[in-house]
Amino acid sequence: MSKENELDGSPLEQLAAASGRDFPNLLKAREATHEGLGLETRRVTLGQLRHDDDVAVVLMGSWGRAEVTAGSDDDFMILVRGADRDAAAPSIEDVKTILDRAPGDQGIFGEPVASDQLIGRIGLDEDTNSNLSRRMLLLLESVHATREDIHEAVRAELVDRYLDESVKNYRVPRFLLNDVVRYWRTMCVDFAGKERRGPEKWGIRNAKLRTSRKVLFAGGLLPVFECSNRARDEMPEFLNGQLRMPPTDRIAYAFLAHGAPDPGGRALGAYDDFLGRLDDDEFREELESVTRDTSKGSPAFQDAARLGKELERGLLALLFETESLPKLARDYIAF
Amino acid sequence: MLACAWMAASVSSAARFSILRSHHPIGASTGYMYDRRGDWPAQVNEAWQVSPFAIELSALAEEELDNLAGYLASGPPLPFRYLSIHGPSKGRSLPEPALVERLAEFSALAAGIVMHPDTIEDPAPYRALGRTLVLENMDARKEDGRTVDELAPWFAELPEAGFCFDVAHAWSIDETMSAGADLLDSFRPRLRHLHVSSLSPELHHVPLTEEHEELFMPLLQRCLDVPWILEAPPRDP
Repeated sequence: MSKENELDGSPLEQLAAASGRDFPNLLKAREATHEGLGLETRRVTLGQLRHDDDVAVVLMGSWGRAEVTAGSDDDFMILVRGADRDAAAPSIEDVKTILDRAPGDQGIFGEPVASDQLIGRIGLDEDTNSNLSRRMLLLLESVHATREDIHEAVRAELVDRYLDESVKNYRVPRFLLNDVVRYWRTMCVDFAGKERRGPEKWGIRNAKLRTSRKVLFAGGLLPVFECSNRARDEMPEFLNGQLRMPPTDRIAYAFLAHGAPDPGGRALGAYDDFLGRLDDDEFREELESVTRDTSKGSPAFQDAARLGKELERGLLALLFETESLPKLARDYIAF
Repeated sequence: MLACAWMAASVSSAARFSILRSHHPIGASTGYMYDRRGDWPAQVNEAWQVSPFAIELSALAEEELDNLAGYLASGPPLPFRYLSIHGPSKGRSLPEPALVERLAEFSALAAGIVMHPDTIEDPAPYRALGRTLVLENMDARKEDGRTVDELAPWFAELPEAGFCFDVAHAWSIDETMSAGADLLDSFRPRLRHLHVSSLSPELHHVPLTEEHEELFMPLLQRCLDVPWILEAPPRDP
């Protein structure tokens, strides 16, 4: 099947057909993620670096969401399948010679990441903010740059860890649900923490919390809820299949599965609009410079906030006003 | 006997499922608060009692704009998460560019500024309102803006404008609601909010009847994500 045909059949494309709302910016970003100097080229170049047998280079962030635009960073992780160690091949420096838009300054991608830490340290003190972030980004918005087999295997092991003996047939897997919700709330609390350090980048962080971070959260929450339609032994395959798709496909899938194409078209349409604006240098620069004090006078920020609300209202309608999801939302979201 | 009465009541209430009551993003238009006209705090308080989620502040007569602007400039503590403003459709005297300039003053506060397309002479100045501008479909008394064919040219001229779907106005055009379905089919990506009510024989907004709620249900179910603004008081339980 050609890539074009694959896109035609994606849940996002199906939602476009069902809702009458095109998603030109999302589809253009998907194309940019894969074509040109995108993922396929980087896979070839990165694949030429010497690799330890148990190491993969994994791309995160907008690469994982298939939403690469001109201003996107190259967030990557050197993923080691197994125990922690100081050095791995390829090294971070080697990879940075190819991925020239360096990772953000959070430092969570600044060292090799061992799957034993991600999977074996869920909860309690040793599950640091960085460990939680790496684990959730690997689970919810990552794509392999090299060694697909390592990336797939680690993600499957992580899903298996969440689907432990406590999971029951036709029930929401609560352990996974709690960690997904915990990560969303952590992002929100960390936003406040970063604001306390200083006003730099307040606007772009706020706008992303309203949009792409919310898409990340919903892209984890909705597949977890969908598990309630499945026997326990069907859940791993379902979840791994969902997690191979970009979050926007998982969300589109849920809107279609719950008979809400029109709200889905408007919700992801608002996100599509945001992505289109973010590709504009002037808009992005204004968002990057705006602070809480200047936000009310910033057309770019007001636009981003409005689009974020439209996205949120669509997701809330899906969760609280469709046929079956409101029952799950009531039973699981608060407690 | 008592059990039968309870069962009858239970069945009856199940049959009367109200999508209106189960919809959370809801609010009141101050347009129906005739006896409180000019008293914005009183109108806001009445709307708040309907729902703290949304409100539409109606300045249906142009002369009300100054009063509304003064009220909003005083920084009243508004609890609503969604606020729209209904621009004037009568008593118009300002040249359109000046009117749009006045409306633009509200755009930082309002998620939408609703206008009747049949009152617009030249769409060009309205482009300055961008996404904040929302065009409403008109009722059968009007000569423009009622159907897909009549609204399409307005949206072509104002490509960023949103759509306010007035369900009762669509009913006045076609009681089968087929014309309403056509409006949603054509303009659903632009949909920002709904106006919800029934209409009197004179086509004035009155509380949504149970019969109309049932008739409108298939269309309302396609609009679960947007605020529904009541253009008449909620009917008694």
